[in-house]
Amino acid sequence: MFDTRTRRGRWGLQLLVTVLVIPFAFPLVVMLQGSLVGQGLGNYAVVLSQPELPYFFRNSLIIAAATIVIVYALALLAAFGFSKLRVRGRELLFWMLLICLTLPEVVLLTPLFATTLQLGIYNTYWAVVLPLAALQIPFAVLLARAFLDGVPDDIVDAARIDGASSMQVFLYVIVPLTRPIAAAIVVLTLIGAWNDYLLPLVFLTDPQSQTITLLPQFFIGQFSYDTTKVLAASVVSALPIVVAYMLLQRYFERGLAAGALK
Amino acid sequence: MTSVHRGTAAAHARAGRSVRSLRPQGYLWVLPALIVSAGILYYSIGYTGYISTLDWDGSSPAPEPVGFDNFVTLFGDPVFWAALQHTVLFFVVTFALQTFLGLLLAALLHSNIRWRGLYRVLVFVPVVIAPAFMAPVFRQIFAADGALNWVLEHIGLGFLTHSWLADSATALPVVMLIAVWGSTGVNFILYSAALGQIDPQIVEAARMDGAGGVRVFWSILLPSVRGTTLALAILTAIGSLKTFDIPYLVTNAGPNHATEFLGTYIYTQSIPLAHVGYGAALSVMLLVIAVIMALVLNLRRERGEA
Repeated sequence: MFDTRTRRGRWGLQLLVTVLVIPFAFPLVVMLQGSLVGQGLGNYAVVLSQPELPYFFRNSLIIAAATIVIVYALALLAAFGFSKLRVRGRELLFWMLLICLTLPEVVLLTPLFATTLQLGIYNTYWAVVLPLAALQIPFAVLLARAFLDGVPDDIVDAARIDGASSMQVFLYVIVPLTRPIAAAIVVLTLIGAWNDYLLPLVFLTDPQSQTITLLPQFFIGQFSYDTTKVLAASVVSALPIVVAYMLLQRYFERGLAAGALK
Repeated sequence: MTSVHRGTAAAHARAGRSVRSLRPQGYLWVLPALIVSAGILYYSIGYTGYISTLDWDGSSPAPEPVGFDNFVTLFGDPVFWAALQHTVLFFVVTFALQTFLGLLLAALLHSNIRWRGLYRVLVFVPVVIAPAFMAPVFRQIFAADGALNWVLEHIGLGFLTHSWLADSATALPVVMLIAVWGSTGVNFILYSAALGQIDPQIVEAARMDGAGGVRVFWSILLPSVRGTTLALAILTAIGSLKTFDIPYLVTNAGPNHATEFLGTYIYTQSIPLAHVGYGAALSVMLLVIAVIMALVLNLRRERGEA
């Protein structure tokens, strides 16, 4: 955009970008460096040898996987219905779903606390997975419907004229067609589920069932404010999502852009 | 179906309509998502509305109905107003900074400079790392003997060192900075996508006419990303109302409520203090504000596009 013609201009631009980016890198540097103070990699050895650590990872994996499956399946079904089938009051129903995008999860705490206790699912994965899915579905439907609206109706009609049922159209036309946006939904849901803090904080009470976001707090208790270990624990917990992001960067950015540019 | 003529556009439109009316019902397809999402969320809202009329600790079997008492208390509660004020300030500051930085970085990284891939990742990685993981880092950075003061001392700005989180005058700005650090990547990516859609020939033509970089930025880039900016305003406004993780984990909403937000206040009232009825009344206020704001911003956006 800023097309520099002179060498000095180019260096000036390079310098400006570097100065702007340094503050973004600074906390990451502090995090890595702080986690190595004292015993160096020994801090990581201590963190990794904590017997509770595998539970935190397992729980986060299960919760993320279950949320992704629910969000992906329900969002795609709904997007197909909204975009390509006959639904009376379609825009009203869609709007009802979209208004949920504004809901802060903190307002769910009390009602869901009382309800999960009554249903006996307090301190189980469901108490976190269901609200997480409920909060993620609206955006996923928005993305998938926007994508499907861009697919010509003729494709669906042609399949139907050839005798395909709605289910067959869905499975053999819609699912393969929506693969790019499905990848974006999966990545966004993964990050939302993996990074969620409040729901596990309230609905999961013991380390056997808690998620990775509660790990730093757990270690603060465990190591009584030994910052180096806590920072090492933070690095260990953040690493999987950073790696996932690096691998799936394209889909993630596309998903974000598709959702907001609509 | 047999009368489908594909000759003229009019016939095509007519055929399209007739095929649409022959389409199967879609209710069963949209129902599961509506039940899980709207079902759980609207149920919770309704329940919250009911609880907001109670004096209840969340576990006693006989909550006492008190009508609108909780709301009366709320309107006279200075912490509620402070939290609201912080939220508005938070929105204004983070939106301005994120928009400016995001757009500037997007424009700069669309230019011919080196290491674009690396810069891109560095700006965006903060978005994917949970505040829960970064909170210990930021507490360390802004501590009295932390990394920021260390840097200030070593670049000759020692007189600026400060106990950032313990002072109620600096705690809120620090919370905002952390939020900007974590969200600028979103603005950056969306602006990058929007800039990618600008016809390079327009920029080229402006340059031929003698426009410099700054002029191109103000006169071509800014107007052509207006839609994105409005979408980001909605995202940031909703995000501001949802703010919880950063103030709760970094400053614990303090010192002395200096970084109290609606989210942290609802949490503290509902869970640790067990003033469940009051927490629900605060939740109702938060919801009302969120919906009104979404409607207002959305209307503005639609008018802007029309």
